[in-house]
Amino acid sequence: MIEILRLSLPITVWLTGFSAVYALQGLSCSRHWPADLEARPVLLAAWAVAFVLQLIALIAVLYAPSPVRFVQTTATALAATALVAAVWTMMPVLAASACL
Amino acid sequence: MTDARPSSVSQPRGKALRLHRGLARIWGSDQRFRGWLTTSNNNDIGTLFLIVATSFFVIGGILAMLIRTQLATPDSAFMAPQVYSQIFTMHGTVMMFLFAIPFFEAMSMLLLPGMLGTRDLAFPRLGAYGLWVYIFGGSAVIIAMLMGLAPDGGWFMYPPLSSAAFSPGIGADVWLLGITSIEVSAIATAIEVIVTVLRYRAAGMSLSRMPIFAWYILVVSVMILTAFPPMILGSLLLEVERALNWPFFKVENGGDPLLWQHLFWLFGHPEVYIIFLPAAGVIATILPVMARTNLLGYGWVVAAAVSLAVLSFGLWVHHMFTTGIPHIGLAFFSAASTLVAVPTSVMIFSWIGTLWKGRARMELPMLWIMGFFATFVIGGLTGVMLAVVPFNWQVHDTHFVVAHLHYVLIGGYVFPMVAAIYYFMPLLTGRTRFFKLGEVAFWLVVPSFHITFLSIHMAGLLGQRRRTWTYDADQGWTALNLVASVASFVMAIGFALIILDVAVNAFVAVRGRRNPWGAGTLEWAAAIPSPAYGFASIPIVQGRYPLHDDPDLALHIARGEGYLGDASRNRRETLIVSTARGEPSQVVVLPGNSVLPFLLALVTSTSFLAPLFDAYIVAGLALVGVVALALVWAWGLGARADEGHVDAGHGAKLPLASESPDPPGWWGSVFLLLADGVHFGSLLFGYAFLWTVAPNWPPHSYLQAQLWAVILALTGALALTAGPRLAVRAIATGGAVWPTIALGIVGALALAIAAASVILDRPDPASHAYDATLWLLAGHVGLHTFLSSIMLFYLAARGAAGYASPARIGEAGIVRLWADFTVATGLVALAAAWLPGAFA
Amino acid sequence: MLACGLAIFLLVMALLLAAFYRPANPSVDGRDESGTRVWMWGLGLGFPLVTLAALTGYGLSIGERLLPREAPDLVTVQAEARQWAWTFRYGENRVIATEGVLHIPAGRPVNVEITSTDVIHSFWVPRLAGKLDAIPGHVNVLRIEAARAGTYDGQSAEFSGRGYREHVFTVEAHDAASWATFLKEGTQ
Ligand code: HEM
Ligand SMILES: [Cu+2]
Ligand SMILES: [Cu+2]
Repeated sequence: MIEILRLSLPITVWLTGFSAVYALQGLSCSRHWPADLEARPVLLAAWAVAFVLQLIALIAVLYAPSPVRFVQTTATALAATALVAAVWTMMPVLAASACL
Repeated sequence: MTDARPSSVSQPRGKALRLHRGLARIWGSDQRFRGWLTTSNNNDIGTLFLIVATSFFVIGGILAMLIRTQLATPDSAFMAPQVYSQIFTMHGTVMMFLFAIPFFEAMSMLLLPGMLGTRDLAFPRLGAYGLWVYIFGGSAVIIAMLMGLAPDGGWFMYPPLSSAAFSPGIGADVWLLGITSIEVSAIATAIEVIVTVLRYRAAGMSLSRMPIFAWYILVVSVMILTAFPPMILGSLLLEVERALNWPFFKVENGGDPLLWQHLFWLFGHPEVYIIFLPAAGVIATILPVMARTNLLGYGWVVAAAVSLAVLSFGLWVHHMFTTGIPHIGLAFFSAASTLVAVPTSVMIFSWIGTLWKGRARMELPMLWIMGFFATFVIGGLTGVMLAVVPFNWQVHDTHFVVAHLHYVLIGGYVFPMVAAIYYFMPLLTGRTRFFKLGEVAFWLVVPSFHITFLSIHMAGLLGQRRRTWTYDADQGWTALNLVASVASFVMAIGFALIILDVAVNAFVAVRGRRNPWGAGTLEWAAAIPSPAYGFASIPIVQGRYPLHDDPDLALHIARGEGYLGDASRNRRETLIVSTARGEPSQVVVLPGNSVLPFLLALVTSTSFLAPLFDAYIVAGLALVGVVALALVWAWGLGARADEGHVDAGHGAKLPLASESPDPPGWWGSVFLLLADGVHFGSLLFGYAFLWTVAPNWPPHSYLQAQLWAVILALTGALALTAGPRLAVRAIATGGAVWPTIALGIVGALALAIAAASVILDRPDPASHAYDATLWLLAGHVGLHTFLSSIMLFYLAARGAAGYASPARIGEAGIVRLWADFTVATGLVALAAAWLPGAFA
Repeated sequence: MLACGLAIFLLVMALLLAAFYRPANPSVDGRDESGTRVWMWGLGLGFPLVTLAALTGYGLSIGERLLPREAPDLVTVQAEARQWAWTFRYGENRVIATEGVLHIPAGRPVNVEITSTDVIHSFWVPRLAGKLDAIPGHVNVLRIEAARAGTYDGQSAEFSGRGYREHVFTVEAHDAASWATFLKEGTQ
């Protein structure tokens, strides 16, 4: 089980972060968002948090390696993929117009 | 039925023959007709699955031909618009739910045990159950169509069009209930497959030595467990809205039709990859054999499959680019949608690189794989174009999308599956191809496919909308549509030829030799056609291609030189290995033939289908039947005495699975709970979604938590957590079990009462989507506390009847798992119900 | 985009066929993984990452330009869909209404506020803009602009049942003078 988690957790972190940032964006355009709160800095901060979590996941995979070599290589590759995905997919918070 | 007679392939004499006789007797199914209803052998179940799925492909194909007939000429009077909408809805539904998914499930049931070097799947009876639920549910949908009661809202059934107001009649209900029952079947199969791949393998088959197909199917099965629950929830919501008027999608009462779209595509996008990945697994298996070499970048491909699977859950909104979601939201999903092409590209180039590495030969399966490349790459490229938002805004809902999805589905799924059928035919039927219709069929299907769907692409770019039942002569689409239709008829003839070819060859072709392609994986080491027991002994492997490492492996296996090569214990035994390293760790005894799965499927399907006819009492009785039969089923397993470690051969003394702390049932429960958890998560998502964006929120008032209810919930949770733990301890130390069970049940009851307080406070779920959601949250708690209580009772009874002992403690662990899940989700559900009121 | 797609397709097919028509290399061992440099790192990863990054950026920057932003001489109209008809409303208090024909001024940006009273429909005038859905309870805003006066065909683009095919409308783009007349006559 633990080997399965090694393989699947980092990239699941990406999915969670991505969904959370999207949800936050949805919230920022909704009736619950305080009118005087600028959304973009909050979104940028959320992106940064997601990125840091992803980095932690990668570091965890590297510093608590699996005794099974194949699992270790694949887990590293997947954690790196997740990091790239975290940068790539949430990039739009930089520039895209919110709520239009 | 699986033959109990020795196959005609020459078996080594002596010990091998004796072993064969013994195992064939133990594993064989009932040879009379009723054996079809009682068998749980993967060969039988897989074959039935395959035949039924192929029949649905034929039905879906006939519907496609009706569509193309209607569209062949302008202003066609062949069908009325009401009929046309039933036909395309059923075509899409049948192809996606009744053909594509079951077909690869059939392939995995047939092939996995052989590839993994085990004797059967992990839960043979669960497999049989899945088969029968599928047959009943699928037939019901088809019968409804023949009676003119088919759904007609398109295969994604958007409300409000599919709501009671705009779709009276039972068409939409047929869809919702029929499809849900098929999803239940898919989930059952997925759990079975996951546990098989993780634990039931040859000795020494570590994760890195697993055949690539097993990796793909593992990934896909986990995807089924996480993608289907949102859809099941969506169907539940819509069915409840239709039947009881709970307004989840009705704007006036705080619902939102967009909620359906999110839930549907949360399922629908991964679904596309659930369909594609098994085909990719087939290609990664066949292509290296055709190139006489090993797969290039095995690890890359595994990583690509896993990342594709997870990425595909972050794409769903690209089906909703035109629903008015803010551009930044679209941008997230546009970026994710293009990113998902990267792992696909890794796979494609791994395959081409494999061809370059080896010496490629053009046999029939390879020809179909070439057809795959020529088609799927185009489908992938048009897919990337569709991920570009402004382009999408133009072509969305035109025939361009229709053409795109067929390039992906037919090119990416059907063609590889045809390759698989031809490649594995010698294994499944024991015969080599004799009549050569396959080549003719290929040249009929592939070119005419491209003519058909390139024309449809063009028509879409010229503005022809999908799901329009006809067009005018002056719209300029006449020639394109005629060409598409004529070519599609040629394609249909080609597919018919394939089915004919396979059927004829299965019965009359010449007996073939073992391993005709020179493959290196284990499925080719069993006798052909595969006997019911699969392997006479469990193989021992040292690499990814055991047959290349040891060409005589088949002989060693047949002589009983692997593990468990001995029929003397007279029961169906196979090996369980450790997940990562593949070291032998348990011996599991599989259950024999039984009619229980068939009966359970019958009552399950009744409970799904009875509401169609407003027979709620029948449905209720059927549900009671489900619980009762499930208990009978479970009760029949296990043992009343400890057996200690058994001899597995090669000097290994292994515990029985039933005397291990983590029996297969525990693993199965973990994955079932994963699906259950995603289902619950989807409900929370729906709640949050409505709260955030639905018009006509907030409701006039929020529920106010009662202090007593909160305290009750917390103490109940505590008791339900402690009870099963103490029960495990009591069983392990021989202490008194009843008090601990009682504690657990009281806890469950307290949680249930807390949940009941929620619905008592909000007596009218039809008044607002908020109230309806509260009822579902409470219902979740109610259902799970009920299940936990039943399980606790069952555990006590099992203890009393002598089925539990300090060694046989696995069942108690399973009950503890369910109780923990109930507590965790129950507390979250109640918190979600109470929180808005606390802050408002 | 189509040309790029075609080029990629041809490249893949060429690589694929070359594998069959290449002098065989019988010496290579199945376990040889030296091909991963080119095939996996280069073609599998590098190639799509670069092209896709470009494509995504390009698509999003176009998308940004199509958004209904503030504009100096912006006109706002309302489009309300139902099974199977369209009602369009204009002016300050939406006092002017037309059935089946949407009137807009040519050469000026127009925001169409789209909604539905029954099931989901979609507003689509192919020559003026992409499509945007009409969803009950929601108002979606689409920016369109007709360069020239004239008539443009529009249609619903979301399946809505029996009358879906005939669920069409037209757009009349007026020059400045006739737009003024339309507004004036409509209010009376
Ligand atoms: C055998 C050849 C096939 C032909 C000629 C064909 C043709 C068509 C056509 C013309 C439509 C569009 C109908 C319309 O929008 O008016 C359609 C829709 C569809 N097809 Fe096929 N099809 C074929 C096979 C398949 C297969 C194998 C699958 C899936 C595995 C599939 C899945 C679908 C789906 C999901 C839709 C959308 C239905 C909807 O709009 O609700 N088709 N097909
Ligand atoms: Cu998709
Ligand atoms: Cu697609």
